Amino acid sequence: MTTQMTSTPPAAGNGKTARRRPDGSYVAQVGRPGFAWALPATFFFAVFAIAPLIMVAVLSFMSWNGLGSPQWVGTDNWSRVLDDPVMIKSIWLTLLVTVLGVAIQTPLSILLGVWAAGQQRNRAVLSVIYFIPLLLSSTAVSVLWRALLDPNFGIPAQATWLFGDGNLFGKQASAIGVLAFVATWQFTPFHTLIYQGAARAIPSVLYQAAEIDGAGRYRKFFHITLPQLRNSIVTSMILMIVGGLTTFETVLILTQGGPGTDTTISAYYMYQKAFKSFDFGAAAAIALALVVAATIISLIVVRVSGYDKMRGTMEGLS
Amino acid sequence: MTIRARLPRLIAGGVTLGLTLSLSACGSESGGSSNDGKIHVLVYGDATNKVEKQIIETFNKTSDVKAVLDTIPGADYQQKLQTIISTPQAPDVFFNWGAGSIQPFVKADLLMPLDDFIKDDPGLKDNFLPSVFNSAVVDGKPYGIPMRGTQPVLLFHNSKVLADAGVQPPKTWDELLDAVKKLKAKGYTPIALGAGDQWPTLMWFEYLYDRIAGPELFQKALSGDKSAWEAPESKKALSMLKQLADAGAFGTNFDSVKYTNGASVALVSRGKAGFELMGSWYYSQQQQDAKEFAEKDLGYTTFPTIDGGKGDPNDIVGNTNNFYSVLKKTKHPEAVEKFLKLMYSDEFVKAQMAVGNLTTTANTEKFLDTAASPEYAHFQYDVVKKAPSFQLSWDQAYPQSASTPMHQAVQQFLNGQLDADGFIKAMQALPNE
Repeated sequence: MTTQMTSTPPAAGNGKTARRRPDGSYVAQVGRPGFAWALPATFFFAVFAIAPLIMVAVLSFMSWNGLGSPQWVGTDNWSRVLDDPVMIKSIWLTLLVTVLGVAIQTPLSILLGVWAAGQQRNRAVLSVIYFIPLLLSSTAVSVLWRALLDPNFGIPAQATWLFGDGNLFGKQASAIGVLAFVATWQFTPFHTLIYQGAARAIPSVLYQAAEIDGAGRYRKFFHITLPQLRNSIVTSMILMIVGGLTTFETVLILTQGGPGTDTTISAYYMYQKAFKSFDFGAAAAIALALVVAATIISLIVVRVSGYDKMRGTMEGLS
Repeated sequence: MTIRARLPRLIAGGVTLGLTLSLSACGSESGGSSNDGKIHVLVYGDATNKVEKQIIETFNKTSDVKAVLDTIPGADYQQKLQTIISTPQAPDVFFNWGAGSIQPFVKADLLMPLDDFIKDDPGLKDNFLPSVFNSAVVDGKPYGIPMRGTQPVLLFHNSKVLADAGVQPPKTWDELLDAVKKLKAKGYTPIALGAGDQWPTLMWFEYLYDRIAGPELFQKALSGDKSAWEAPESKKALSMLKQLADAGAFGTNFDSVKYTNGASVALVSRGKAGFELMGSWYYSQQQQDAKEFAEKDLGYTTFPTIDGGKGDPNDIVGNTNNFYSVLKKTKHPEAVEKFLKLMYSDEFVKAQMAVGNLTTTANTEKFLDTAASPEYAHFQYDVVKKAPSFQLSWDQAYPQSASTPMHQAVQQFLNGQLDADGFIKAMQALPNE
């Protein structure tokens, strides 16, 4: 491990100790960065995350429609939100969209990432084309797919054998399917990029050793590549979960929460409450509930995945 | 489904919410509108701004207190208005819709009743069509002067498609049902409907309720009498709408079609559908999207009559007009009053007509021939003038908080997720203040 680490200079450290020393003694002597390094980030986090969070918490106990002064209403917003069937439904929908995202995108991006890390002909060109969706904003992507999936003038009008009457946005299952598909189309490239980097970092000696032992492609993939990608899988999945829980623009533009409330996920419901119904108190309560839920979920993910004790995968190689 | 940009965005949203909260707290104490010795006029940002700029220039030529035009792009107008209205950045005069959207501002004690202005100059009231002027009256007091144009909902059609199917523009409900059958047999979608946007569907409800029960039923429901939604007329309207949808009038994929991205508009202009029910702005929409079609084959009629219905067949629904409301704390009420008088001037009417808007002033008739399409302007003017009742769109008559559940109920009823009883319950649950 030590030889690998010392080959890159430390990002932070004070000048005296940062001078290069012979391998081995170096790491121990690098000064730990002082607390001052964290001050700017702490400041911005406090101003732009903690302070608004507190304001939202206060707002969730008030009634405010954006006009005049907010009124105290106690726990009224909370009891309304927690009793609201649409809210309960929106939580299930949010979880469903998140799970679908992880379940579809993870295997796809692992396979593509491992492929893109290889040396095949034309691989570079294909990879570049393939990463294009990553460059587009969610809004542009949503507008694009809404037009492409128009039942009378889009793809469904040409491929009726596949889409029937093309009423994709009119049924819950297909509307959620579209959301999952668009998210996959847009974000798989990003995760592929993570896996590509990780797969390239796997030392080739592992594969050479396995080949000498007579391992085939599948064995190499399942016994070397996948285990070596473990930390990247956790990282990528956490990003997917965070993204899934905060899905918003695609719903706003593609389905507007419809048909009825069938794709009204929590973040969109919060937006509806705040900026369509001008019920900022209830919106704040939803927002806070989302923060709590997301925190719990990420804590669970960190525990279950062992992210907190994440170890390097290089042991025994140096 | 994920990318690092999401979390910061959520946080940024929180900041905005927090800032607006703190801003509004300041605003309610220090109060008053901008302090730069000018009056600020805030309007919905779109093509009509051209006219508003011109009017403000005219006003500034003679006034000591100058006016400034501020615009907010359409989709964000309501949100931004509500976040600045109680801050020092609040406009003196601003664009508003009818009573339902004016009411929350009145309740928050932000608007000036215009009685005193009208006492000074009765023309501020008398120069406008009464049915339009009255839709900005809240608790017996006027809070808006009509500006821009009236927007009745009309039944548009593609005359080529109708001719091909051997159909005449329908005068009665039965003729409409018959037309649906013939158009369907010829392979057309009989009626284009952008149900993906939800509000276009609402127009069908508004007309059916008005034709069958008259305008009183909705007024009763709006005033808080929830039993109105259970009335036999209400059930009849629902069953007729169901009958129309079940006959395949809107096709089967209407929930995937939108008006706002031009898809339902194209259905009609490209000859795939026969009819579309839409506000009078549809004409200029078609002119923009399909100029040749708008000039040659776009036809229009009023909503069909219904046998035995209590409503007057001349009744219309839609948006009566937009209104200028005045901030109570304005520092220059005299200048504002003078500015509002321009809303019935000849110059204003002519300029609105030229961009295709039909004004609702008494002198409108003189200028009909200067309109973008004189024939269409005359037709619209007659319809509005002889209408005994002009029902404001439901989602604008009700307060903002009702619009999302109302739109959802309307969509769910038409696609079968809700039955009549479910729809009635949903409407009864709407907040009405």
